[in-house]
Amino acid sequence: MKKQLIIAFIAFTGLATSLIAQAQTAATVKVSGEVTTPLSLSLSDLHQYTQTTVVRKDKDGKDHTYSGVILADILQKAGVIMNRESLTKYLLVNASDGYEIIFALAELDKSFTDRAIILADTVDGKPLPQGDGPFRIIVQDEKKPARCIKQVTSLKVLFAK
Amino acid sequence: MLYNCDRLKNSRKNCFKFLPYRWNKPVIVLVVLGFSVLISAWTYYREAIPTGTYQFIYPANFGNRINVPDDNPTTKQGVYLGRMLFYEPRLSANNTISCGNCHQQQFAFTDNRPFSAGADGVETTRNSMSLANLLWARKFFWDGRAASLEEQAAIPLTNPHEMGQSLATSAKKLSTEPQYPPLFKAVYGDDTITGERICKAIAQFERTLISANSRYDQYLRKAYQPTAGELKGMELFNTGPQPEKGIRGANCAHCHGGVKTYLELFHNNGLDSIPKDNGIGALTGLPGDRGRFKVPTLRNIALTAPYMHDGRFKTLDEVLDHYSDHVVQSESLSTVFRGESNEVGGKTLKLSPQEKKEIIAFLNMLTDKDFITNPGFSDPNIRASKK
Repeated sequence: MKKQLIIAFIAFTGLATSLIAQAQTAATVKVSGEVTTPLSLSLSDLHQYTQTTVVRKDKDGKDHTYSGVILADILQKAGVIMNRESLTKYLLVNASDGYEIIFALAELDKSFTDRAIILADTVDGKPLPQGDGPFRIIVQDEKKPARCIKQVTSLKVLFAK
Repeated sequence: MLYNCDRLKNSRKNCFKFLPYRWNKPVIVLVVLGFSVLISAWTYYREAIPTGTYQFIYPANFGNRINVPDDNPTTKQGVYLGRMLFYEPRLSANNTISCGNCHQQQFAFTDNRPFSAGADGVETTRNSMSLANLLWARKFFWDGRAASLEEQAAIPLTNPHEMGQSLATSAKKLSTEPQYPPLFKAVYGDDTITGERICKAIAQFERTLISANSRYDQYLRKAYQPTAGELKGMELFNTGPQPEKGIRGANCAHCHGGVKTYLELFHNNGLDSIPKDNGIGALTGLPGDRGRFKVPTLRNIALTAPYMHDGRFKTLDEVLDHYSDHVVQSESLSTVFRGESNEVGGKTLKLSPQEKKEIIAFLNMLTDKDFITNPGFSDPNIRASKK
């Protein structure tokens, strides 16, 4: 009886720690604001979308290939419709270090621009390094890297007031 | 006296007739004194409470991205009440601690201790934060867990190791103090005292704590010529090191940049490989957030020792030594500290002793004497008793 209890206890603690471990690693990006379907995207969720690659220079001055999902696709999934009204909307992107940047929604609209803006999770075929990832925005061809925001935690669609 | 006569249902004449018989002289004097004190107190508050919209005054270069919730507009009467509450020890469980105990004006609203003892004598787990230019802040506490000053205020008020009293008890206690119900009426339209109203008024007062007249501000408006050391320190502060190009810097502005020396960022600055206090990591459980804490404003930094969330560094020299030479590498270390060095291939900044002194000279430029002596920010009870 005692032995069974011990085994049950070990099994329980094992399960609990694995759950905690899982909770610790499950970084997500929340999509909210002026959306019809708020989303909470994990890495595996993101892999369900069509993947796009963008090449741009990093701080080291060298070209790197980033892979991820076009932001407009994520917004579409959340029910954001690009129309005339969206010309006065913007996307607020937050990072876990408190850094934040915005894009006008038109900047993300394929009918306005061919420039790809993606939510990347890999660089040169590998997961983004700790400190940059797991999610980072990569803006194609933008001179300054300031909007290639690292450690993204949230995408929020808002109205300009 | 007349009141008492009325109660006795006597004419004035009869009343005076009665006096020598029913009242002795000291009692009369006391009653008169008591009434005059009450009346003067009443007129004092009636006359002294400024009313109307509170106008924040700050330099244009601070920007207008201020944070005032729609449901708590700042009024002069609200700030007046908030200041009284900020210094009100009755808001603590044993009537001895007010917000002003751990946030003392002379130390730019810190208390010069690593940790602060609460109403129960137990010390807090984090260092008391400076209260300056909170009007622009959106995330409060070392881990940024409160989204408004209103939300923030409720936590130290009720935490058993800080002021340790429920908001309901605080509201009840203030209701029995004669000065408070009329003040709450002046601010909120009726004299009901609630925890929410207490927090709102404190938040209003805290938003007025603007520090914008340091020598750095004077320099920015061309009213102060810094010394050579201060200028060199400012340059190092604002420059990222590029050893291959021979450019030396400390890159402080990367996180403490802008005129407010505050960017509302949260970083793991390499204090420990395995932090005792996980900071934001304790809230999110994410490894990337382990040991991540608020990057505080450097305004008045020379007055707010000891430093870091746990007050581990007693002096600015120790702080500079940390950033220059002792940043601990770990998985959670923020990228800004990785490979930032004045030496090619160096792991830490590697500043010279002279450079550290120059940076500290610049940091001393951020001390604002007006801020720590502004009578509008001081304990109103001390002012009243001095008068």
